[in-house]
Amino acid sequence: MLDSLRAVTEAAVHPSIQPTRSGPKPPRTGWRRLLAPGWLRAPWMTALFFAIGTGIVVGIRSLAGWDPVWDSLLIATVGGLIAAPLGFLAGIGAFDYWTKYALGSPTEPDDHSGHGAYSWRDYFRVNTDHKVIGIQYVVTTVVFFLAGGLLAMVFRAELAKPGMQFLDGQSYNGTISVHASLMIFLFVIPAFAGLANYVLPLMIGAPDMAFPRLNALSYWLLPIAGVMMLGSFLWPGGAFGAGWTGYAPLSVVGTDGNVFFNMGVQWAGASSIMTALNFLVTIITMRAPGMTFWRMPLLVWANFSTSLLVVLATPFIAGSQFFVLFDRLMDTNFFDFNEGGYVLGYQHIFWFYSHPAVYIMMLPGFGIASEVISVMSRKPIFGYRLMALSLIAILILGFSVWAHHMFVSGMAPWLRVPMMITTLLIAVPTGIKVFSWLATTWEGRIHLNTPMLWALGFVSMFVIGGLSGIFLGAVPIDIHASDTYFIVAHIHYVLLGGSLFTIFAGFYYWFPKMTGRMYNERLGKIHFWCTFLGFNATFFPMHIIGLQGMPRRVADYDPQFGTWNLVISIASFFLGASFLIFIYNMIVSWRHGEPAPSNPWRAMTIEWQVSSPPPVFNFDQVPQVVGGPYEYGVPGARHAVFNGDSEHASEPATDSQRPQH
Amino acid sequence: MSAHAEPHAAHPPAANQSSRVDATTLGMLIFIASEIMLFGSFFTAYFFVRVVNDAPLWPPEGFHLPVFVAGLNTAILLTSSFTMHWALQAIKRGSRAGLQAGLVLTFFLGLTFLITQMLEYARIGFAPRDGAFGSVFYGLTGLHGAHVFIGLTLLAFATIRSFRGHFTPKEHWGVEIPGIYWHFVDVMWIVVYATVYLL
Repeated sequence: MLDSLRAVTEAAVHPSIQPTRSGPKPPRTGWRRLLAPGWLRAPWMTALFFAIGTGIVVGIRSLAGWDPVWDSLLIATVGGLIAAPLGFLAGIGAFDYWTKYALGSPTEPDDHSGHGAYSWRDYFRVNTDHKVIGIQYVVTTVVFFLAGGLLAMVFRAELAKPGMQFLDGQSYNGTISVHASLMIFLFVIPAFAGLANYVLPLMIGAPDMAFPRLNALSYWLLPIAGVMMLGSFLWPGGAFGAGWTGYAPLSVVGTDGNVFFNMGVQWAGASSIMTALNFLVTIITMRAPGMTFWRMPLLVWANFSTSLLVVLATPFIAGSQFFVLFDRLMDTNFFDFNEGGYVLGYQHIFWFYSHPAVYIMMLPGFGIASEVISVMSRKPIFGYRLMALSLIAILILGFSVWAHHMFVSGMAPWLRVPMMITTLLIAVPTGIKVFSWLATTWEGRIHLNTPMLWALGFVSMFVIGGLSGIFLGAVPIDIHASDTYFIVAHIHYVLLGGSLFTIFAGFYYWFPKMTGRMYNERLGKIHFWCTFLGFNATFFPMHIIGLQGMPRRVADYDPQFGTWNLVISIASFFLGASFLIFIYNMIVSWRHGEPAPSNPWRAMTIEWQVSSPPPVFNFDQVPQVVGGPYEYGVPGARHAVFNGDSEHASEPATDSQRPQH
Repeated sequence: MSAHAEPHAAHPPAANQSSRVDATTLGMLIFIASEIMLFGSFFTAYFFVRVVNDAPLWPPEGFHLPVFVAGLNTAILLTSSFTMHWALQAIKRGSRAGLQAGLVLTFFLGLTFLITQMLEYARIGFAPRDGAFGSVFYGLTGLHGAHVFIGLTLLAFATIRSFRGHFTPKEHWGVEIPGIYWHFVDVMWIVVYATVYLL
């Protein structure tokens, strides 16, 4: 809100400010509807920007006399993957305020016309309300999750028996690559961002994020990235097939669909950097009075450290994808050894982002698990400060381990042992967290409801994934297991059994807050157990066939692995089907569920102290924080008090007496 | 979907300011940290090619860099940082004319830098496709050029607003924030110039 408040004062020289009202503006009529921000303006502006991008490419090429003038891949990249998305964003209205501001026009800063949802249509426009954006994020990521899951079932069907069934090598590679890219860049990372978008400002007692318009923009970049990755299937030659890691030189010389990956990652990465920046500024500058860093809920801590990782690491994947794009489109030689390039450079730069990205995909889940386990065990979280500090330790160590992905790549041998040691060291802060969760449940009054099942499922599955991670961190075992299904098993135990389980813990835990309705508890539990069993039946055998030597990333395999693969494929279809229960539960409960009370879990954090769903501006006045967030079972303990709460009016709130700027 | 929030109040409550740092400044600083890492990835590629690949001769045989012209260009860009500072100080004192003059000067100095760099590209005698040296040279200088372009765009907005009567001695975020970015672009050029041309 601060930027809009500032704009109020800057625009004060203009007397023409509209009278204050909240809610959407009345719609324009006639042909002017084409000029109003929204779905009528978006198509023609997308087309217009595509034409401008094409014009730039063709213009420069014809002026310079390069042949061919109409280079279809360049036009697709500049016109289709850069200019057209900008046109879409401009059309939908993501830039309206800034354009007015830049040109010095009056900016109508305080009418809040883009804030809050008053009908379902408001979820389909640029909205500055962090709660609306949070729901936009969550629903979008679930859509891409289902798309990615369907792709997984396609190639599991192909792998059900040895020999080639209905996919050829290229389409197999495309299917697994798009599956992984969607799951990582369009589901796990943004789903966490979406959940935090909804609850984080509420948790710290802020009326909104620090930069609401930037927040809206960062959401709208996401569908662009997802459509781009899925759209690569339509390009001649097929989807990008170099995996989600996109190793050069394969991604340079492979199909042209790789440019869709290169640019899709840029849009998704820009989205996560903007969100992370917003989280950091919000957490630093907008905490409620009395909310010191040591009184922040662990979800806030988790997103604070994740955001630091995103801001510092994501530019490296942007760089690596730029190099690959330049190598393909401009014939540069970043990775071509014959021309003096450095082949392993891609892997180093990529993993310098993508190993921290593993923690980007895990730390917010740690935060969610901490919230749920403490509330459902009715006990204070064990070792609160150490939990927060171990997040920071993981953040710092996370930057020093990237080359453990490259033990067999032929990199400098002296780099192996230091990377092994730092990798194994990460088990220490992670272990602290696991033992703290276990100690939190110890002698607690455990409520085994759906969010708690997901959180406990996460802890157990994540331990398995963490242990195989320690195996792989050790150089000798890694050399044996590299590029086998053991790696596939490991990544799915940490990303599916780890991240996805916490995401679902979060979905169920905050569903009453987001929708104002209770979900169906019985269906939630059935969903958990089906996913849990399906997940283990799918991925546990991969450890075995991996150690027996079945290589990953291949469309066909030796017949000796046929039985296990059939088991895995059947289990994976069961796993896929289990999410239908989730979808059914969410849709039906959202429409017809029992109205949710404001605090169904009897939690102490601030988001549960307001109504479900919260009012448009979250609070009438920001609350006063008077204690830690997890004092369950401590007599008389309070986390936050609201204005007029006479019980605590006389309580000495020591931390709140710092000067208010 | 019954989840539509009821209107509760017409205004959001005033957020508590929990840090002495101003939100917009902090946001710009974090963004710059991210930008530094982006430059870091390009510098990494540069040093991979130059140091890790153990290039025998640098720049390789047949490549020449116009160190002197680029040095003059560096001076032009550095000057623009001072004029930017002058513009900000002027509006703090309440001098609109000083603000406008400072911003216009900064903008044209930056534009001169960018045009000089384009002329340099046209006459330098090698292209991005010419070996890994061409790639990393155009990569780093081109990335910086793109940032100068972004900086110029922000400066253009500030200039337009200054001529339309915005900004007062107390309210000049729209000058200060692009100014921080402009200084970053200048400092980053010194690093790029020192690495690519001098080192």
